[in-house]
Amino acid sequence: MGKGDSKPEGTLADTASGARDAGAGSPAASPRRASAWAQYRALLAKDLRIEARTREMVVSMGVYAVLVLTVYGATLSQTGDALDVLNVASGLLWAMVVFTSLLGLNRSFSHERADGCMEGVLLAPVSRSAMFFAKATSNFLFMLVVEVIAVPLFFLFFLAGAQVGPSAWLIVPPLLLGTVGMAGIGTFMATITMDTRGKDVLLAILLIPVIFPLLYACVSSTSIALLDVVGQMGTYLRSLALAGGYDVIMLAAAWGLYEFVVGS
Amino acid sequence: MPTANDTPPKVTGPAGAGPAIRARDITKAFGSRRALDGVDVTVPAGAFLTVFGPNGAGKTTLLRILSTLARPTSGTLELLGADALHDDPNALRGRIGMISHRSMAYADLSARENLLLFARLYGVADPDRRVTELLELVELGHRANDQAGTFSRGMSQRLSIARALVNDPELILLDEPYAGLDPHGMRLLDDLIERIRPGRTFVMVSHDLERGYALCTHALILARGRVVLQGARDELDADDFRDTYLSVVGSLTSDVEAG
Repeated sequence: MGKGDSKPEGTLADTASGARDAGAGSPAASPRRASAWAQYRALLAKDLRIEARTREMVVSMGVYAVLVLTVYGATLSQTGDALDVLNVASGLLWAMVVFTSLLGLNRSFSHERADGCMEGVLLAPVSRSAMFFAKATSNFLFMLVVEVIAVPLFFLFFLAGAQVGPSAWLIVPPLLLGTVGMAGIGTFMATITMDTRGKDVLLAILLIPVIFPLLYACVSSTSIALLDVVGQMGTYLRSLALAGGYDVIMLAAAWGLYEFVVGS
Repeated sequence: MPTANDTPPKVTGPAGAGPAIRARDITKAFGSRRALDGVDVTVPAGAFLTVFGPNGAGKTTLLRILSTLARPTSGTLELLGADALHDDPNALRGRIGMISHRSMAYADLSARENLLLFARLYGVADPDRRVTELLELVELGHRANDQAGTFSRGMSQRLSIARALVNDPELILLDEPYAGLDPHGMRLLDDLIERIRPGRTFVMVSHDLERGYALCTHALILARGRVVLQGARDELDADDFRDTYLSVVGSLTSDVEAG
């Protein structure tokens, strides 16, 4: 056979039969271990691509946030001047964030459960850490997108006429830390509850007590930011440190336990 | 339609290689219920084992253990020469493929995107090229960019086969792969299995006695988590095997009716 007739190894013609060579089969398939980073990127890109196509998470969470704001509007419209909204604004803001996030977290595994996709991923030699961090990152990003829309609406509807201090921008760090923690712990809890019958209620029952310290720290620091931080910077920073410490410890625990959770 | 009297395919495993699967005294308990109870299975490299049994016999549990998705409560398990219960499970997962009656494909991703995702998870050297090869193999090249959710059952199953082959596995597990397929889809799946068969070991769970027996080189009947009958097809009498299977299914049906 002349040189021009030789068929390069592993061409389409080789694999069209589907036969497996005694060795590695098609060179294109030659097995090597993907790094956890490569697997993280592949899984995150998958979640982002599906969301870009369906917009299920962001739209459902966004609509829910607007509905919560509507309920707030109906409730607060009856209080007149008897209530300074600024005093309760941080609590209202975080109630909206928590309930909106719960809705998103409950839906975050809907695509994995359909058609056995989660099983398909678990069958692959995928680092369970990569699985956890990819899902937590996509949940964080979707929650962040909703907050970028819902928080300005909250300010517009309820705090437009209030005496918000110049330090109001300082609500951003607690919002970021709170969202990181809820996305991380929420992803872990949603993995536990994804195959249970009452997963919607169960996730709330499991998650809210666990994130209570984070919620407390975030409400505290947000409240100080809205009411003017002057003279209370120490308390503000302590609350942020508590939220940050909680995130580090709980994310590490979730990461360490994730293999056990998906394995069982 | 294949029959139980077809000539068994030649076992094409590497000469002198040990068994692809050696399971000893495998037990899997869920609380007080034993889904598998002291199961011993040996499958030579390159063989095709079909596992038969009525619903609840433990077939899917056995397949989940072989796929490393579940761990047995007790027993020992060697897969492809590795200790499946103590060695790195990810090293084994890279050598195993699974085809289920569920597609395991994301409905909102295209066929190509699905396969590229799994190729990257498996660390395939040249994902784009491998995916193109596989799409041609399963005759989905013309629908490569269509979302998997728009596929018919037969096309989904072909995509599932392509996904299972993305890492060029040595061991392929099939969980009721014919479920929900029309006769044309079944014939296409038969053809594909025959094409991908050389050099691989197969374990298939099936309710379809005729088709499952015709495909296999080895057969096994499970009932109530125990092995009732197993052996190489060459050494089994097809009529005896059929009678045993039907009596197992019949006795369990009688139990249910009596209960």
